Amino acid sequence: MTDVLPRPAWRRPGELVGAWEAGLLAMMALLFVAGAVLNPAFFGTTDALHALFRDSARVAVMAVGMTFVIANKDLDLSVGSTLGLVAVVFSIVFDPNRMDMGVVPAIAVCVALGTLIGVINGVLVTYLRVPAFIATLTMLFIGRGLVLGLTSGRSVLYPIKARDYEAFFQLGETNGWGFNNQIAIALICVAVGAVVLGKTRWGYETMATGGNEQAAKYAGIPTTLVRIRAYVLSSLCATLAGLMTVAQDKGVTSQAGLLTELMVIAAVIVGGASILGGRGRVIGSFLGALLIVLINKVLREGVPITRIVEIGGQKIEVNAVSTLPAGAVPAFIGTLLIVAVLIEPYVIRRRLLARLWARLRNRPPPPIPDVGGIALVGAQTRTSGGGELSLSTNPLVRFLARRDALAILLTVTLWLIGLALRPDYWWHLSNSFAILLNYTELALLTVGLTYVIACGDIDLSVGAVLALAGSAAAYGLKVLGLDPASAMALGLFAGLLAASVNALVTVGFGLPSFIATLGMFYIARGVAAWIVSGQQLTGWSEGFNLIGRKVGDILDYGGIAPPGGWFGALADVVSVQTVWLLVVAGIAGIVLARTTIGQAVYATGGNRRAADYAGINTNRVRIMALLLCGFCAAMAGVINVAYFRSFNPVAGQFRELDAIAAVIIGGGSIFGGYGTMLGSLAGAAVITLVRAILQLNIVTASGESIVLPQHWVNVIIGLILIFSVLTDIWLRQSRPLARLVAALTGRKPDIPRRHPHA
Amino acid sequence: MPDAPTEPFIEMRGIRKSFGAIRALSDVDFSIGHGEILGLVGDNSAGKSTLMKILTGAYHRDGGDVLVDGRPTDFRSPHESRDRGIEMIYQDFALCGNLDVGQNIFLGRWPRKGLFVDRKKMYADAETVLRRLKVDVNSVYQKVESLSGGRQQSVAIARAISFQPRLIVLDEPTANLSVMATTQLLETMAELKRLGVAQVIISHRLTDIFEVGDRVMVLKRGQNVGERRIAETSEQEVLEIIVSGTPTA
Repeated sequence: MTDVLPRPAWRRPGELVGAWEAGLLAMMALLFVAGAVLNPAFFGTTDALHALFRDSARVAVMAVGMTFVIANKDLDLSVGSTLGLVAVVFSIVFDPNRMDMGVVPAIAVCVALGTLIGVINGVLVTYLRVPAFIATLTMLFIGRGLVLGLTSGRSVLYPIKARDYEAFFQLGETNGWGFNNQIAIALICVAVGAVVLGKTRWGYETMATGGNEQAAKYAGIPTTLVRIRAYVLSSLCATLAGLMTVAQDKGVTSQAGLLTELMVIAAVIVGGASILGGRGRVIGSFLGALLIVLINKVLREGVPITRIVEIGGQKIEVNAVSTLPAGAVPAFIGTLLIVAVLIEPYVIRRRLLARLWARLRNRPPPPIPDVGGIALVGAQTRTSGGGELSLSTNPLVRFLARRDALAILLTVTLWLIGLALRPDYWWHLSNSFAILLNYTELALLTVGLTYVIACGDIDLSVGAVLALAGSAAAYGLKVLGLDPASAMALGLFAGLLAASVNALVTVGFGLPSFIATLGMFYIARGVAAWIVSGQQLTGWSEGFNLIGRKVGDILDYGGIAPPGGWFGALADVVSVQTVWLLVVAGIAGIVLARTTIGQAVYATGGNRRAADYAGINTNRVRIMALLLCGFCAAMAGVINVAYFRSFNPVAGQFRELDAIAAVIIGGGSIFGGYGTMLGSLAGAAVITLVRAILQLNIVTASGESIVLPQHWVNVIIGLILIFSVLTDIWLRQSRPLARLVAALTGRKPDIPRRHPHA
Repeated sequence: MPDAPTEPFIEMRGIRKSFGAIRALSDVDFSIGHGEILGLVGDNSAGKSTLMKILTGAYHRDGGDVLVDGRPTDFRSPHESRDRGIEMIYQDFALCGNLDVGQNIFLGRWPRKGLFVDRKKMYADAETVLRRLKVDVNSVYQKVESLSGGRQQSVAIARAISFQPRLIVLDEPTANLSVMATTQLLETMAELKRLGVAQVIISHRLTDIFEVGDRVMVLKRGQNVGERRIAETSEQEVLEIIVSGTPTA
């Protein structure tokens, strides 16, 4: 007989609030008291409480929508840029200097835009099967690019016209009862959201979809619709928050909504939702939003201190305010996000506290309940392109069946396009090597990322780690006065440290790599900004800068007479970093393609469980890949600093987008198991050439010259990334050509059954 | 044909296993002789897979003995049982679809020549294994995910065979196969038997077990409820044991 031990009588679980929320309240009270002690002038007043609620309102509204998305086991990274884009579009429609229309049409346009973004996100993630983080991350970058492109980086303000539209702009103001209308909006949203998620079928459908989509589908729940619905809700909440921003500021800056997605996601996770789906409460998310905004405020708040300043030999006490630098906020909240994500699977599901308590009392700890695996069972590759085609005897067919054929053909095509646009100088050696120089940084990133993606993981933090390593090296040179070799080592160490955290959270704690590296994306960039704050990181010994110079410059530096002939010409254009890239990529490529390590990488990415059964230490393989990726990013960062002879805080920005796109174009699969070094290098060449062509100064027949602004280039790169992922999923994996041929010849296609998790 | 082997190849005695409050197996006995094909049947949650996972070391038993060749063992992982000649083929085959047939057969132990993978040897050896098994796979260079379910299973079996096992456990081997692929699988199993490999089939489909099996063992709710020699029973009788299931001594 199967015996079931008697169970204790269970209470009906709370649908709206629970113990988690109580803990959050206690935590917040503590933080508020801490803030009040640090700076009584600011935190000790009711004004402070009011400001906290007012500033939380927008985050809370977005957190409501995000709760639905995360409970569905999805993620929406685009909310911050949606907020910004909505605010900008409203401003453009409303601004007397632009389109000068009324509030109603402006709102209508914004709602339509919000709905559109939500539908696009939803369709990409469901019907088109793009992983949520990659679809919405691209959306985030595209949105940000559009915001910058539409505003040209300037603010749009219209305080005078706003006076004629009292009814709308009053929404951002304090009302007759003495509190801000935004608080009322947020409370209504939270109340409606809490009831819908906790008490209605919509909510139950959401939980079922997030808990087990397959089961939900079998039970007749239209899961695709449920997920798209959540994305639209999230996007509309961001739209509302964008309108609230406009109502409050009576204008918009190009910074609107920056980092908001981090705050919102952190709020929802801290509020008790599980990144593994099926768990989340709107009230908790609301409290999480309050907590995150409170932390944000505490971090930004200055601590009054007295400083002793010497003026003319006299010591004078000066009252000053000590604040943390700007980078501290994303660094802390990114860390908090990772910690909060770990709480749910480890502390709650494995009953860490109950077990600890039992151990302290010398009682046998309660058993760990059998959890159906903490790690997300990653989407594994299902079907492949090529198939029989790759066994063809025709070399052309064999080449086209290769997954990296697209990238190689594109590289050639794009180079020819560049030649057609600027036949006067495109083919010059100097231009070619200028392109190669841009190429090197990206290509270095893709070397490591190819391993990570082939392993079935992702690293969203490469650009940020690049900046972190660069800032660490620059800090070592300038502030610590290290010699070039030690500074380089410091930079590489910083990169490896960040990568170790990625590896620990991803492999050690078994969380999806996108969430771990997303946290690192904010942490690393935050720390980099923190390091450079108030420092002029430039002007150090030229010895360090040599790793960013051309071979000819090094010969000069060494006092060697420049050789003549073709070697001299080559030395004047080839830079050290290009040579270094070739060495690194060469070794990494051979290891990936020809050794058992490379085979283990592909096996891990193809089917991790099977690889485990076969005795491959998949954890070690994944850790190695993530470390290599961080190391490559760190090398790129150190070289970047040497090349520019200074550290620029925007170094590596948008590079994660370029690098992921390069690997996918080059034949990598976002689901893992594929990717070659040659393909990734070709993919990086495609991205570099696209950027080079888009930035070409094109002289038209009438003598005008056209240059595409940088912001628009990022929008286009974002679109390329989405298209390359779609191409991978729909052309390489679903093999529409093979199906078509089979249908035409009347043969039943030998296409294997799909994994149930579409 | 091994008739009532004097000393069984593997013997499990009084196996107990609980998952939290659920007792999955209580005092289960099991034995299989050299080259014997045993059908392990029973309802869902009867404990068939759990028993086999304890045998391969994927699970740890709470109590009881596992004897291989009469010697007590305590496998901590499937890798340890593999060294003693026990292989398990999982229901989903546990193959890497992105790798080709040869790479999958040598998954995790790709032959090396210096630093590099010895591809020539790998594909040649893979051919040899496949030929020995008399299965039909077009090419060792073909990606596994482009193969049909039956052929994927052939690769999984070839992989198991390449370890020179003495026992192969097949978990629901026919669950995902077409009728034709099932017939082919049963032929392969008979071929394995000729090679002297003992096999356990965990299955719901009695027809398949009656086609190739020597003996059938029935579990119900984690207990032995019956055991019959195929030659001396009928599908009807086994079905009755599965359904009515009174524990037998």
